[in-house]
Parts: sequence; structure tokens; C-alpha cells
Amino acid sequence: MLDAELYLNLIRGGAANLSRNRQTINDLNVFPIPDGDTGDNMYMTIDAGTHASGSSLTERADSAAQGMLLGARGNSGVILSRIFAGMAKGFKGVSRADMPAFRSAMQAAVDEAYRAVSQPVEGTILTVLREGVAAAKDATTLEEYLDQWIAAMDVALQHTPEQLDVLKKAGVVDSGGAGLLCIAEGMRMALQGNSPLTVEEDTPTSIMPDHTQAAIDLNAFTEDSVLEFGYCTEFLLRLQRSKVDLEHFDEQIIKDWLATQGDSLVFFRDGSIIKVHVHTQDPGAVLSRCRTWGEFLTIKVENMTLQHHENHMDARFKRSRKALGTVTVAVGEGLTQIFKEMGADVVIEGGQTMNPPVERFLEAFDQTAAETILVFPNNSNILLTAQQAASLYKDARVEVIPTHTLGEGYFALANLDAELPTEALVQALTEAAASVTTGHISQAIRNTEEARKGEYIGFSGKDILAAGPSREQVANTLAAKLEAGNADIFMLLQGADVPSEEAGRLKETLEKTYPRTEVILLHGRQPIYDYILVLC
Amino acid sequence: MLKIYTDTDTDMTPALAAEYGYTLISMPYSIDVKTTYPYVDFDNFDAHAFYDTLRGGVLPTTSAISKEQYINYFIRDFVAGNDILYVHFSRAMTNTFDAMDQAVATLKKKYPCSRFETIDTKGITTLSYAIVREVGDLVKAGKTLDEVLEWARTEVDKFAMYFFADDLKFFRRSGRVSGLAATMGTLIGVRPLIYMSQEGKMVSIGTAKGRAKALDFLVDKVGELGDDIAAHRICIGHTDAPDIAHEVGQMIEEKFGKQNIVYVDVNPTAGSHCGPNGVGVCFHAIHR
Repeated sequence: MLDAELYLNLIRGGAANLSRNRQTINDLNVFPIPDGDTGDNMYMTIDAGTHASGSSLTERADSAAQGMLLGARGNSGVILSRIFAGMAKGFKGVSRADMPAFRSAMQAAVDEAYRAVSQPVEGTILTVLREGVAAAKDATTLEEYLDQWIAAMDVALQHTPEQLDVLKKAGVVDSGGAGLLCIAEGMRMALQGNSPLTVEEDTPTSIMPDHTQAAIDLNAFTEDSVLEFGYCTEFLLRLQRSKVDLEHFDEQIIKDWLATQGDSLVFFRDGSIIKVHVHTQDPGAVLSRCRTWGEFLTIKVENMTLQHHENHMDARFKRSRKALGTVTVAVGEGLTQIFKEMGADVVIEGGQTMNPPVERFLEAFDQTAAETILVFPNNSNILLTAQQAASLYKDARVEVIPTHTLGEGYFALANLDAELPTEALVQALTEAAASVTTGHISQAIRNTEEARKGEYIGFSGKDILAAGPSREQVANTLAAKLEAGNADIFMLLQGADVPSEEAGRLKETLEKTYPRTEVILLHGRQPIYDYILVLC
Repeated sequence: MLKIYTDTDTDMTPALAAEYGYTLISMPYSIDVKTTYPYVDFDNFDAHAFYDTLRGGVLPTTSAISKEQYINYFIRDFVAGNDILYVHFSRAMTNTFDAMDQAVATLKKKYPCSRFETIDTKGITTLSYAIVREVGDLVKAGKTLDEVLEWARTEVDKFAMYFFADDLKFFRRSGRVSGLAATMGTLIGVRPLIYMSQEGKMVSIGTAKGRAKALDFLVDKVGELGDDIAAHRICIGHTDAPDIAHEVGQMIEEKFGKQNIVYVDVNPTAGSHCGPNGVGVCFHAIHR
């Protein structure tokens, strides 16, 4: 039975859990949300209901709903308050609710929420709530109800991008629905008695990471970033008598002009105050023009690339945002760094003696969060693992570019043209990789036909082409055998154990020997291979 | 009396400007917060030191000069009632000439006797340099302002400039080359090939794998588009890559015979957009 005390505990549990996750919910706000951020708005709304009084369930539910109606902020907050108002209606005349009463109150909540919006849109908090309630209609206990409700809401939430284009484009789920799910999960924790009931307490039992303290990552917008999303520009403008004829002023003029300056425009007037939210490339122009009608009460301008930065987002709420991602395998900090600088999203550590498992690839695919993922295994021994992982992964299209050596991977990645269609891109990269000749120089670990233990061997594929006690000499011989003079670019990856002086000297010799070939020395700092020769 | 002006973005040095009688307008660049006006803040351009700074990872920025600065440059000749011809770098690459327009409008109101004309070289650095020198030659030879303008009307578009850069990052940062966004990776050894368009913009036209192919590309372009090249200077500009520049010059002479080749240090303001180790060739062509 649900009584007044338990009901308030559920609300408090919901509020506490939402509080811990509100930054996560805020981060889902990639399209216009009036009055700021969904997570904050929903939290402030539900929090206004956590001090409800009354001994009967009716009174307590009324008091909570009243508090929330007064405290409601933003669209999602308003809808949330109406959800609780609907429940209060459903609990009318009930001092303790049994399951039929609880279920009917939940249905009343759905009805009331839909009534709150003049033109209900599917793919929002409304859909999530409705589908959750519908799925739980046969539950026989409160625990069962919450379990079924939450499970169905989670599914409905994941489908919201299919229902709303704006979500799909932004690559996120609906923020209001996500907020409601957090509340429901908090309620379940409260019911199970393992949730902090006040928001002041902070325990690590949160089902989602705590992002409430997350600072803006200024590195998300670097010196080379391109302003893709513009600036989220919000302000309150007080129309001024000295500037406009206040009584007869038609704010439509401002609205029409703003519509030409950006998108995601939210605009309304309340008396002499105009509230504006717009995503624009040029906030300066917007602010200057708007000052011709009034003066600002508040202004907030944020670079939306920082708002969009994904690190703050819960993986469950994050949809594949990027069209194209890359995962590559490398060993040695130098090579890892080089691959990262070239734009690889994830560099898996691995190589000849250290083959990464399938799980590591799957993890990397998750980290990449792209619709299409290109994988550069860079080693024959790793190729199959990568292909196996690709076939197992269902959340993205994964294409393995068959790169057998680090050199092939390097050159393929350097040729990545993200604007090509996937098929053409895969073909181009495969061809680029195949056009590369790679040679390796390593120390023999036992006596062979060609070299004694401790001497250097130079090989390409399985063919040993040079051997001898001098590393430099072996490198020069290997370069000659690989016809370095026919290559346009000769990349020399210097191994971890090779002194820079020697590598520099080798580069000079190679440049003199092959004047038409451009020799580029890179500090790969890879183990095992003293030099990797990449000819392309 | 005709007075001629040009700016430091055309690679003209004070010594050469003085030879022709050009007044040199200094176009600034900034490193960190320090703004430098070439040949105002220093006497000689130490190209090696400057591009070495860029090699060290510094990315300078450039900025437009103001209306007041233009007025300061031009006012003397307006007061004296002289005619003015300003041969400048590409209007399509900057908004600085809006400030110039405003300055000239203000001055004209006050001193209506002067005639003010411009020649847009529709280029920057070495391309502008070649045209500025040709104009200088004409003025020296006694051509009138109208004759020079008539020459420019047909000839400016016949100076072609093709070049390659060593590193995309400077162009990416400046955003002044169209067609670069498609490529994601850092193309070590793979050089972007760029030309100056008829509209006076830098346009990417592909890449060359390795230095040798990049050099071949420049020389092939001279062969493909060159027109009466022997009668004009061939200007080879470089951003602290004299060896590669001379290699190109040698290749051109090997293929097309002895030429009047001039080697030019790309000025630091334009070089800020290109980065070190870039080389370009400007020649008289059937079209750009």
C-alpha cells in the first residue's frame, strides 16, 4: 500500500537521483529548451514538491503537486508538474492507495500530462511516460510496477530519436524523457530503501555518473576548431519607452528578424520583457540589433561546441553522434601520439607480441561513438580479431581496412577523406594501404641462416632481405632492396632503442642516395622494430 | 603628379619600393598579443628567424588596418593634390579595403582634386609582387595613370600563381583556402597544391605525394599555362625554403631555357597563413 509517507519518499528519491544526474540531462539539450536546461528545470520543479505536507495520501499528493506547479520551470518542468498533478487527481479521496488505485493515478498522470500541451509531440517525455505506464498496467506490486515502468520507459526513450528528427540529427535522446527516467529510477531506489532521500547527501549508489560538478571542458574547442554549432544566445530584453512605442509595439518585428539570424529560436514576450533563445553564428549582431529596441536584463552566450562536448554524457543517453570514427592499433607512445594527431579516435595498444582481444575492440567501438567506424589493425596477427569484433558489433557499421603493418595503417589514415561515401572510402583506404611497402628492422633473437643472434635483420613480409651487425647498414641495404628510389615518400619510424643521432644520420644518407624521394623521420618509439620503413 | 602605393603583403621590401617610388603600407601580423608592422617595427625581414618561430609551433594571426591608418598614409598626397594609384593585395582575402574605401571617401570629400585609383592584384605575396613590379616598370617608363590602368585591366588575370604548402595546419587555421576541409588526416609528406583564382582567392586543387612530385607539378604548370614567359619575370616565392625554390628555378630553366627568375621571401603576414617550407611560382600565363 502506498501511503503519504512512502509517496513523499518516492518523490524525494526521484528528486535526489535527478539532482545527481542533472548535468547529464542538461547535456542532452541540443535543441531549443525555453528557460534553460532540462535537468536543472526538472530538478527545481520536483524539488519544489519535496516538502509536501498532509497526513493522507490525498493531501500529501495535492501538496506536492501544488508545490511543483508553483515551482515548475521550463517546458519539461511544466509537464512534470502536470504529471504529479494528474497523480494527485487520481489519489483524490484515497488515504492509502492499493495497486488498482495507483495504476489509475498513473493513467491520470498520463492524461493530465497530455492535456498540458496544446499540440502533443511524440518522441518526448509524453511518449516515454505513456509507453511506460501502458507496459506496467498489469503489475501486481509497487516494486513490479516500478520495474516494468522503468524498463518500458528506457526502451521508449531509446526510440525517441526515431520519432523526432531534431533528436536524430543531434544524436541524442529526449532530455525530458531522460529526466523522467532518472526520477523513476530514484523512486525505485527509495522504495528499495537504498537511496539517499535528501539531495544533500551524496552517495556513490547513483546509477549514473555524477556530473553535477562537471566543469566545461575548454579544450573541446581548440585553436583549430571550426565553429560548427554557433553560439547559444539567451537574453531577457526590457523594451524601453525611449526606443519603442511600448503600447503599440509589435514584437513580431524582432522575432522575424531573429529568425534570419540563426535557428532554434524561442521567443516570447511578457509585458515589456522579451525572452529570446537563439543559436546564432554571430551573437554580436543579435545583441547589437536587439539593443535598438531595449536594454538587456540578462545575457548568456555559450559556444555550443563546448555544450555539445560528449564527455559529460551518459553512454546510455548518447547516440552515435559522429558520422565517422576511426580505431587503430599501435604500440609505442610515439606512434600512439602520431596516430592521435592524425585524427584516430581510439588507439588500441597492441602489436606483434601483444595482440588485443576482441573485447578491447568492442570497447573501442563504444568509445568511438560513431555511425561508421573504420578499423586499422596494422598487423596480420590482429586482422582476424578486428574482423571478429566488427562482426559482433551491432551499434555501428564497422569496416576493417586490412592494414598489415603500421606503415600501411599510417598511410591509409593519412589519406582518409571523410567526405567520401563509405564504400568508396573503404576502397580508397584499402588501395592506399596496398600501395605501401613496409620494411622492418629488428634484432635476431636466435641464430638463423641469414644472421647470428644479436645481429640485425631487415625484412619485408616474411622475406629477410638484409642482415648484419650494423643497424644502419642493414637499413640502407633494406631500403635498396625495397627500391626506395621509386617511392615518393619514405617514412622512417625510429624505434624506442635507436639513438636520434643515428636515425638522423641514416635519414641524411637515404636523402643523398634517393634524391627524388622525400625522407621523413618520425619518432615512433616502437619496441621490437628498431626501424620501420614505410615506402609509398 | 602620380604617386604609387603598395603594401607589404605584396612581398615588396622598402629598398625595392624606393627604387620604383612606391610608398609601402605595412600590413600587420600578431604573435600572442604582440602585433608587428613589417618594416615599421623592423628594418630587415629575417625570414629564417620568423619561419623558424612558426616551425616551433607558433601560429600567428593577421589583422586589418584601420580607416585612420589609411588616412595617415594617403593624406599627404591628397593635400598636395596628387593622383594616387594603390596596387594592393587581393580584396577577396581581406576586409581591410573596406576601411580603405571609407578613408578615401573621407579624404575625397575634403580634398576633391586628387584622383584615387587602385589595382587589385587578385593575389597576395609573390603573385602581387610580380604585378607590383610590372606596374612599377610602366610608371618608371613614363606611362600615364590611365595607360597603367588599361594594362592592368587585361594583364592582372594573366599572372598565374601555383604553390604548395608543407603543412595544412596554417591554412586550416586561417580558413583562407577553399576545398581543404575534405581531408582529415595530417598529411605528412603529402602537400596541398593551391592556386590563386581569377577571383583572387586561394583554391586547393589536389595534393602531391612527396616533394619531387610537388616540384614537378609547379614546373608542369609553367609549361601548360605559360605565355611569353621569357618577356616577364618568373617569381619564385618561398617561406624559408631557398633550396627548394632554387631547385624549382633550376628545373624551369632546364626545361624552358634561361629565364629572368627572381627569388622572393614571402612576407611574414602572408606567410602566417601558409606556414614554413612552402614554395610557389608566379609566371605570365594564358590564364590563371
